[in-house]
Amino acid sequence: MDAAPASSRRFSVLHVFKVFYPDLFGGTLTVIRDICAGLAHAVASSVLVCSDAPRPRHEIVNGIPVERVRSLGNLFSLPIAPTYPFRLWRRIAAYDLVALHAPFPLADLVFACGLGRARPLVVHWHADIVSHGRLRWLVEPLMRRTLQRAEAIIVSDAALATRTALLRDVANKCHVVPFGVDLRKFAALENSERPGSAGRRVVACGRLVPYKGFDVLIRAAADHDFEVRIIGEGRERAHLQQLIDGFGIADRVRLLGSLCDDEMVAEIGAADVFVMPSVTNAETFGLVQLEAMAAGRPIVNTALDTGVPRVARDGREAVTVPPGDAVALAGAINALLADPARRRRMGDAARQRAATHFATAAFDQGIERIYRRAVAAHAAAHRASEQGVGLLDSVRIAAALAWSDLRHRYVRSLLGPFWMSIQMAIMVAVLGSVISHFGPAGGLSRLPMLALSLTAWTFLNGVVLDATTALQASASLIKDRALPPVVFLLQCCFRQGLFALHNAYVPLALWLAIDPMDVGGVFAALPGVLLFIAFTFAASLVLGALATRFRDLKPIIESCLTLAFLASPVIWSPEMIDRGSFIMRVNPLTHLFAIWREPLATGQVPMSSVLYVVMSLSVLVVASLVTLSRLRKAAFWI
Amino acid sequence: MTSITLSNVCLDYPLYGAYDFSIKRRLMNRLLGEADGAHAVRAIDQVSLDIRSGARIGLFGPNGSGKSTLLRLIAGVYPATSGRIEVRGRVMPLLGLSAGANLDLVATDNISLLLRIGGRRPTPAIIDDIWAFTELEDRMRRLPLRTFSSGMLMRVLFATATAFPADILLLDEWLSVVDERFSAKAERRLLELVDGAAIVMLASHDQELLRRVCNRIVPLDRGRIVGAEGGGETDRSARKLEEICA
Repeated sequence: MDAAPASSRRFSVLHVFKVFYPDLFGGTLTVIRDICAGLAHAVASSVLVCSDAPRPRHEIVNGIPVERVRSLGNLFSLPIAPTYPFRLWRRIAAYDLVALHAPFPLADLVFACGLGRARPLVVHWHADIVSHGRLRWLVEPLMRRTLQRAEAIIVSDAALATRTALLRDVANKCHVVPFGVDLRKFAALENSERPGSAGRRVVACGRLVPYKGFDVLIRAAADHDFEVRIIGEGRERAHLQQLIDGFGIADRVRLLGSLCDDEMVAEIGAADVFVMPSVTNAETFGLVQLEAMAAGRPIVNTALDTGVPRVARDGREAVTVPPGDAVALAGAINALLADPARRRRMGDAARQRAATHFATAAFDQGIERIYRRAVAAHAAAHRASEQGVGLLDSVRIAAALAWSDLRHRYVRSLLGPFWMSIQMAIMVAVLGSVISHFGPAGGLSRLPMLALSLTAWTFLNGVVLDATTALQASASLIKDRALPPVVFLLQCCFRQGLFALHNAYVPLALWLAIDPMDVGGVFAALPGVLLFIAFTFAASLVLGALATRFRDLKPIIESCLTLAFLASPVIWSPEMIDRGSFIMRVNPLTHLFAIWREPLATGQVPMSSVLYVVMSLSVLVVASLVTLSRLRKAAFWI
Repeated sequence: MTSITLSNVCLDYPLYGAYDFSIKRRLMNRLLGEADGAHAVRAIDQVSLDIRSGARIGLFGPNGSGKSTLLRLIAGVYPATSGRIEVRGRVMPLLGLSAGANLDLVATDNISLLLRIGGRRPTPAIIDDIWAFTELEDRMRRLPLRTFSSGMLMRVLFATATAFPADILLLDEWLSVVDERFSAKAERRLLELVDGAAIVMLASHDQELLRRVCNRIVPLDRGRIVGAEGGGETDRSARKLEEICA
């Protein structure tokens, strides 16, 4: 993708429509393209459409990422793309906002079913369904539901909001944003000489579809001698050509087909009169008449119930005639062609109006503002009840921080993740060889348990030690990003948990190599392990908070931990020590290790130790709750 | 509906001296019957504000006037000593840019981490967009932040911090830290952000900046709101100010 210089991550928008360039040219597509281009600095736009031509599924068109869904053809001007609704539903979550260019019943299917509610929806209401009135009853309920669900509806003219039955119920959500026209495109024409008085050229532009009323224009030309040029392509082409040939006016009425932008500007510039002969309300605005206005051309348009006669107004920038009336149309064209002064006056007024009322900047700003408000309103509605960082968020953030800590630890490490395991292996080897001289034989078979105990001790020791400095270390996150302090105590626990998992390779390997124990013992030890972890966390919470408030506690805690390591059966196995020792009996760590070590070794759960641990844990939990309530003040301590 | 309501909010900030963090000292004081040494300073004094969505509040005042403290009160960092604070909507406090950055990790990892801290899931597309905003070379994505110059670092942090809209955005003075060429772009983005958020509060002593960005300026001095008409009932003076600055 070309790197737009001002591209910034504001939010992403998915434009939903039935077709895109180069399968079709037309007003709606111009609008989508203009929105994508005009808002590029603030919005990352993508387009999801159908296509019955063999095109790549993903493509960049004019710098816009386009995804196409295979369509089997068209039925009632609607692509037959059975997978489109599914694909749309799957894509919605990846964007911050969905912009539906209505009418497009295939997409309504998704929104009407209540899917994609996680994202805000803005509907660009381009036109009502006019041409296939018989099928209205089928799609109208869908469209109504889509409109009800939308955060905002954008129309190009106030007349649309008031005169479209479907929009009347949701009038409070309708915003009028008139389309804009880029005057620079036509700036070259400003000083160019108007075609001389000999000019009898009439230009019209649009897809060759029935509602555009080109047949009326051809009929109007039949009895007069002006030249007509019609820019555009469409399924009516054969029919229109037949009509032209039938009147025998092929020498002065020509269908030009699709033109590129430059050619179109030149054609419009060469016109004496621009005609917009549309016959139904499917023509809502007439973007191309706005372009002709920007080119300073007088307009002849039709008195539709839409924005068409309000963009170029009768008697000022245009002559407005009844739709479908070939005689009136011919009369208006002839009158204008016969009066160069009036043409000039109207053309100047038209350019003036395009510049003042339909500037692209105003259009872009209007659309962007509505998009932004929709995103904000949707977000507010979804999170109105929730305030601050919830418990689940805390856990998530703590986990992310812990994961980052783990990665940080391997930065510039030669061995990567396993240097910790190697460290643990060396420690086990050295301590194991020393201890084997203390007690009776069987030194080798004690190694797995020794390794496991050391892993557990490293975890407990690490969590408590880290907790004493965690809050100070994260002062900026607490004070500047308002994260709850408990996040960072959780982070210590997660981080050391991850480290412990790495260390656990050593006992696991030893266990498999030396003395495969009973697997049943593992299950019996599981509750003990959970109690161990809960105890460790609760202790770290209380000690961490205390050590932050009272700085002289940290060295005390450190030396206590060293002492505890020696006074607890971590490296000593239970049979190596005198169980009658008073210190061993009151030391909670003895029991904290016993509750999972003994089930592992013997399969028996030592109930007295469990009781002792549960009791001390409940004391700790009470202390933790008090701590948590006091943690609100932690920002003062750091 | 997002809103912030402060009524008669006070904050006494406990001042811990060099020895107040010691438990030994505290116990000694207890034993010797001396007064507990926890002095406090009134950082926020009787502040009342009623902010509805659409407001862009500029907090203006000299250093130590309580701008940042007020923002932290609203963000929930400090508990108020007295008064009532009611905040509706999701608050996004961006009071310091570098909070949470890890200089040893490469730039993209930092961006992901900072996004996660902000409660967002980082995807490659989002990171690409953020990187595009920084206008830094692509190869620098894989370099540790430690190797970045302070200006480059600020670009990365600013782009990440402002990547997402929020309901309530709290900003402390940090536009000025970005270098000259980038600052115009940064300010534009800030304005966009302001446009997307329902409420923005921006503390600064750059009155020009506040005038450009905000639609209401609240002057603070020593923790109080000081109006042009001064004194009186703070509630009313705040409302007056809104009219003046609107």
